[in-house]
Amino acid sequence: MTLTESAEPATPAPEPRLGRSFWLALSPLCYLAIGAAMIVYTQVTGLDSLERNSLGLGFIVRRTWEHVELVFFSTLLVLAIALPLGVALTRRGLRRATPAVLAVVNLGQATPAVGLVVLLALVFRIGFWIAVAALVAYSLLPALRNTMVGLQQVDPHLVDAGRGIGMSAAGVLFKVELPMAVPVILSGVRTTLVLNVGTASIAAFIGAGGLGDLITAGVSTQRNLVLVTGCVLIAVLALLLDWLGGVAQRYLSPKGLS
Amino acid sequence: MSLWEYIADRRDLLLFEAVQHASMVAQCVLIAALAGVLAGVATYRRPRLSGLATSTAGVVFTVPSLALLGLLIPVLGLGVAPSVVAITIYALLPIIRNTVVGLSGVDPALVDAARGIGMSRRRSLLRVELPLAWPVILIGIRVATQLAMGIGAVAAYVSGPGLGEQIFSGLARLGGANAVNSALTGTIGIAVLALLFDACYVLIGRLTIPGGVRA
Repeated sequence: MTLTESAEPATPAPEPRLGRSFWLALSPLCYLAIGAAMIVYTQVTGLDSLERNSLGLGFIVRRTWEHVELVFFSTLLVLAIALPLGVALTRRGLRRATPAVLAVVNLGQATPAVGLVVLLALVFRIGFWIAVAALVAYSLLPALRNTMVGLQQVDPHLVDAGRGIGMSAAGVLFKVELPMAVPVILSGVRTTLVLNVGTASIAAFIGAGGLGDLITAGVSTQRNLVLVTGCVLIAVLALLLDWLGGVAQRYLSPKGLS
Repeated sequence: MSLWEYIADRRDLLLFEAVQHASMVAQCVLIAALAGVLAGVATYRRPRLSGLATSTAGVVFTVPSLALLGLLIPVLGLGVAPSVVAITIYALLPIIRNTVVGLSGVDPALVDAARGIGMSRRRSLLRVELPLAWPVILIGIRVATQLAMGIGAVAAYVSGPGLGEQIFSGLARLGGANAVNSALTGTIGIAVLALLFDACYVLIGRLTIPGGVRA
């Protein structure tokens, strides 16, 4: 869902813009404050026994950590697959396959994430690594597309110029094309992160843990406090990771480009 | 039981769920399109306001759909209400953003010319600016529809209508007969619906984008 985009590469994902450094630090502090307030509230308020099961501090911390792990491993895997594959698919020999690959990407985007997660769990088994696989399968395609689009939009004249001053094909790739494509690739990474936080919360349905567990527990035991705590913490996590992605975009993009 | 037998057996139910899914998405996107374009039109001349609108939209957009659905349960209960509200909220975001981007991308010289030949502000908006921005707005609506399809699937968790129910009943029957068939039918059904809607947008684009604007 997400963050999902249409067939037109002209549609970048909606990104909250990052302002000056003061504002840059303000929003994550707000998010953290909201998350902390939520956790403190659950700890000081009177809980019944069912709520205590799902809202103990240790339990919340463990679920949050599981969520972060799900997102971390899946994002890492997506990068490890999408970057080399994107580079390979834009090289001369395979460039003709690009429209076909982009068509597959769009087809994949039409598939709902829940369906993919549930299907993988039904066909294989339930658990952490199956959830990671589902997350990878779902967010791989947008990341791949961003890598390819990023590399494609590099001005061919610059590549030509690079070759003209005697750089090798690999030299042009690493010194010209990849640096020029970094902003688009990083925005893909940011999208992947946020997408994975969302899909990871769905992973609770297939017993992979994570903060989605609080949502399912809250719904099945009809404890709204558990439910709301889970939702708020997932939202805070998504916003924090999006912010981190934005910071990375800001500081890792080559200086001369903006 | 093969997938085909499963589908043939439950033809009526599946068709009903597919129609429900499609009509839920279509209605939510329609509401979101009207509200979103209005919000975009209202704010695009004031950079601070439209900045606020798009950055708020961005923050809400970052919140995963399951979390938003969950937050709506205590307020709206289970069923159609939270599903429709959540889908409409998510669908609003790309539409507002694309309306603002599209309208502010219109060449100021053209707006000036429209005013110069005596068009009122409203006339210039309706006859010049909106038609020129329409392709971008339409892309926003298309993105919104794709999003709505996926969120509609998750919405079955809060007992929302549509094909997502197949996915969750498959999960509930984990290990049992037809579990995979059920989840597969739901997943493929939603993907097919999404692609059908996408094809409709291509058609709508052909019919509504003024000939001179089309690239």
